[in-house]
Amino acid sequence: MRLRWLELTDVRVHRRVVFEPAEGLNVLVGGNGAGKTTLLEGIGYLARARSFRGTPEEDLIRRGAAGAILRGEFEVGGGRRRVEVELPRGSRRRILVDGKRPRRLRDLVGTFPVVVFHPDDLDLVKAGPGLRREYLDDLAAGLWPEAAVVQDDAETALRQRNAFLRAAGPAAEAAILDVWDAQYAAAGARVYEYRRRVIAAVGAPLEATYRLVGGAGEVRWRYEPTWLGEDTEPEEAILDALRRRRGRDLELRRTSAGPHRDDPVLELDGRPLRSAASQGEQRTAALACRLAALVVLGNHRGEEPVLLVDDVLSELDPGRVDGVLRALPQGQVFLTTTDEGLPRGTRWKVAPDLVEVAG
Amino acid sequence: MFEPPIQRLVDELARLPGIGRKSAQRLAFHLLNTEEADALRLADAIVEMRRSVRLCSRCFNVTADEECAICRDPRRDPSILCVVERAQDIPVIERTGTFSGRYHVLGGAMNPIAGIGVEELRMRELVGRVETEHVAEVIVATNPTLEGDTTAMYISRLLKPAGVRVTRLASGLPVGGDLDYADEVTLGRALDGRKEL
Ligand SMILES: [Zn+2]
Repeated sequence: MRLRWLELTDVRVHRRVVFEPAEGLNVLVGGNGAGKTTLLEGIGYLARARSFRGTPEEDLIRRGAAGAILRGEFEVGGGRRRVEVELPRGSRRRILVDGKRPRRLRDLVGTFPVVVFHPDDLDLVKAGPGLRREYLDDLAAGLWPEAAVVQDDAETALRQRNAFLRAAGPAAEAAILDVWDAQYAAAGARVYEYRRRVIAAVGAPLEATYRLVGGAGEVRWRYEPTWLGEDTEPEEAILDALRRRRGRDLELRRTSAGPHRDDPVLELDGRPLRSAASQGEQRTAALACRLAALVVLGNHRGEEPVLLVDDVLSELDPGRVDGVLRALPQGQVFLTTTDEGLPRGTRWKVAPDLVEVAG
Repeated sequence: MFEPPIQRLVDELARLPGIGRKSAQRLAFHLLNTEEADALRLADAIVEMRRSVRLCSRCFNVTADEECAICRDPRRDPSILCVVERAQDIPVIERTGTFSGRYHVLGGAMNPIAGIGVEELRMRELVGRVETEHVAEVIVATNPTLEGDTTAMYISRLLKPAGVRVTRLASGLPVGGDLDYADEVTLGRALDGRKEL
């Protein structure tokens, strides 16, 4: 995929800015508050219909403005598609794709493939399990739209089950809990299976990208849910676990076992990276994971996703930066940095209301 | 801001679903500029509807009488019940022309997040009807959402001891949507292809 142009009106520091990026690597240079990350946010919002890392949409609207407008055109699947988003302050947003309102937002999932890479992602190895589950789930949704549907179902079933436990307390009616258990087990098992498929698909690309960014040894995922017994189907196993822990769940008033509590970990030469490796090695592995996701998505669709890299380089050892730049895919990449001396790509100078090719 | 009587109407209209600020103003001024008799007829229709319409004592469909037209119709087969979430779903299924039994309006689907448990739904009434009306089959036509599916599962387990056949509309309906999102042909096919739960 490729972004042809982007136009932001009243988005954060920009009153109005128009950006016509180059193919390949686009390096956005500017000081703090220049609005370079805003350009990435704009591209990401148009492609995924949601903001970065759960930033409230109101935050995107320039201070004092009545609303923000984001517009852009992607070259994707052999055609050109225009996306427009209006974010009025205090009321519902409006999204148009090629001038028409999409029937359901769910239909847009995966239409415009982007991968976002943020400094927090460097903590993939050492952070809590949530970030790793999200990595696997996001990649699954990018590869198989059905995965996004079952993730949604599992989350809804879990939230409903927890709401029921909270409201009913220890005297909850067993027959009602039974049906929420069944729904969560069914959807949760599918979520688990998609995570497994992602781990299988990402194996070889991860080894390759790990070497490209200068890592040594063998990196791989290890995922062993505590609820999964031997010789049981995942759905049956989740149902069993929920049944076994029912007493505790009734007391805690929330769901204490299931795929939402799993901890998939990364290993280096068979040992957990989290405890065995230095911070540098952990970050290298995290970076390799993002790049591997990009490779897998690109191979699967026969089209490179757009990569948005937000201020990651400054977090790395200088020695690793060149390896990272070489490992970037052939597709369109947007990279923000405060470092003016970056050797590759088309360099853009960014300031409020301004994006121009740097001399 | 408009003159208080106009503003009051604009505010009321804007509270209706699907009506924004702009449309509310347009409607209010239309009612102001139209013949007085036309505007009053609308007000009258609203009052009349609210005063006369109540719930069918048998199936909880909306009706102006003790029982709704479907429950009173002797040609309808009382041994088949179609369970829907809302009274609005009944005309949608009626349009398919494939269903000749009676209905039961639950009043929603199980949704603890929204504070709706089985006590808030007409479950006990459903069990009562299955026992007293010699029902042989219950078709659960709740919305194809996770909550609608869960409710269908609960109903099928609830009615198991009664020995009644419980079925669910075949898939093919738009997932996650409302029933009235489906066209008649799709919905008719889903009724014909219903499966035992
Ligand atoms: Zn009736």
